[in-house]
Amino acid sequence: MFRLLLLFLFFSSICHGQVAIKFGLFKDSLIHVPVKLNSNDSLTVFRFYVSDLRITKDRNKSWKAPKKHYLIDFDRETNGQDVIKLELPHDFKTGQIEFVLGIDSKTSAEGIGEGALDPVNGMYWTWQSGYINFKMEGVSKNIPSRKNRFQLHLGGFRKPYISAQKVDLNYIHKGTSAMICFDLSVFMNALDLYTQHTIMSPSKEAVALSKLAKSCFYVE
Amino acid sequence: MLNKRLLWILLSFGVFAFCLLKNNRFDIPDYIPRPTYPIPKNSSDNDTVQLGRLLFYDNLLSADNRVSCASCHNSYNAFAHTDHDLSHGVFDSIGNRNAPALFNLAWQKEFMWDGAIHHIEAQVLAPLHSPKEMGSSIEELIEKLNESSFYRSEFFAVYGDSLINSSRVLKAIAAFELSLVSFGSKYDQVRQGNSEFTEQEKRGYAHFQKHCNQCHTEPLFSDFQYKDNGLSIDPSLQDLGRYLITGDAQDKYRFKVPSLRNLSYTFPYMHDGRFDKLRQVLEHYEMIESNHGTRRVDIKSIPLAFNEQSDLIAFLLTLNDKSFVFNPAFSFPEKLKETLLKH
Repeated sequence: MFRLLLLFLFFSSICHGQVAIKFGLFKDSLIHVPVKLNSNDSLTVFRFYVSDLRITKDRNKSWKAPKKHYLIDFDRETNGQDVIKLELPHDFKTGQIEFVLGIDSKTSAEGIGEGALDPVNGMYWTWQSGYINFKMEGVSKNIPSRKNRFQLHLGGFRKPYISAQKVDLNYIHKGTSAMICFDLSVFMNALDLYTQHTIMSPSKEAVALSKLAKSCFYVE
Repeated sequence: MLNKRLLWILLSFGVFAFCLLKNNRFDIPDYIPRPTYPIPKNSSDNDTVQLGRLLFYDNLLSADNRVSCASCHNSYNAFAHTDHDLSHGVFDSIGNRNAPALFNLAWQKEFMWDGAIHHIEAQVLAPLHSPKEMGSSIEELIEKLNESSFYRSEFFAVYGDSLINSSRVLKAIAAFELSLVSFGSKYDQVRQGNSEFTEQEKRGYAHFQKHCNQCHTEPLFSDFQYKDNGLSIDPSLQDLGRYLITGDAQDKYRFKVPSLRNLSYTFPYMHDGRFDKLRQVLEHYEMIESNHGTRRVDIKSIPLAFNEQSDLIAFLLTLNDKSFVFNPAFSFPEKLKETLLKH
């Protein structure tokens, strides 16, 4: 029996491919906030929730991340974000990376969580309740707001303004790491900061921008 | 000699067990529906509730260390704030709404006048972060608590761990708030067959059932829905109520229907505390105009003669629960007095 177990362990260790999933901005994982994007715009805060991350294959097999929720924070001071490590089975050479951008309605309805969900992370609304799924703040010259600031706090877990988005990306196992990138230039170009510089409540605009954010992810 | 001592020990043990039994026998009357949240036992041996009680009464929660939850939610006012139309926060700032009474919260699904908060544990964050209330933040509070040796040992006693995190703080305060159960009014005594209404109260009860019960539904005396009760708009507040949360035009000027229990202790009335007397409230409902232009008021005028209003008030006063308001288990904790100067 012991021998069998050893054999199994041996096989399983060679069958599994380790993949470390990291989130990045553009194509360079080293970019942190605060960062100057161009002569007009700079980013001071950028963080979002990733929930239920998994790699699926043939639609019915899925390999899930060890934790349900991750807070991806690009702040320089937070000393790097969580690297999500998946020990993939041998046959997961290709598949889909799926995750929810934000916190699902069920988790939100349950109240206050710990760890990534701790309200000390600044991702919980206080004037009304619920998690902020996606938070981006910065400065953009020429926008008509106080100190030219923009604040996009996207959230909302109740109908009709549910803003969590399911992201589904193609994945090909190439090495021991995979980078999920958020294409900031696509996001910033599609935004009209002049009219949409302050979004801080569940609303139609928050849902529309969450959908935009969803479309900005790709696997590097 | 030994026997005598043994007898004393047994006797004190018996008294202790009886007290425990009495404290734990916290029966909710059978005509009360099932609560949304489980109700923690209101007893000295419930550590989480006692910890929550300390936090509820501690000024440490506010930015200037001068405002506690109890500042605006006083136990002697059924945890409302008598004589203040709008809440009173740090640096003498004045809020936008009247501090609501706190009792029977376990039966509510949403909190605040506009239902902004969907979970009791999240509720604490609202006044904590509001610049017009406590002006602090959960980050700041956790830091302050972790620096306090008093709280570190309190948390250690409850959780076996001296680390103070937001989950534990929010759960403890919520546990104390959920323990605030009030079903000891004359109305409850009558329903349980232990008392009888006077003739005047009976007449008032009939008026109540005809005109008020639809929204202030028995036995909790609220349906906890949001209604526009036709109050004129205060130009200094311009408060749109529930609309601020849902963004639905139909919710403009709608506010949560408050419970009518403990009415005598919780004046002034309405979301902006505009009425000091019950008579003024009834006069408003008498004079109410259902035609406000495009605004659709949810209720119709309640035409009651002066003596009928007096009868109704007599009934409403049977909803006061003195045993709740003067329950020492809910008042300022002695333990905090000793430590107030230390932190």
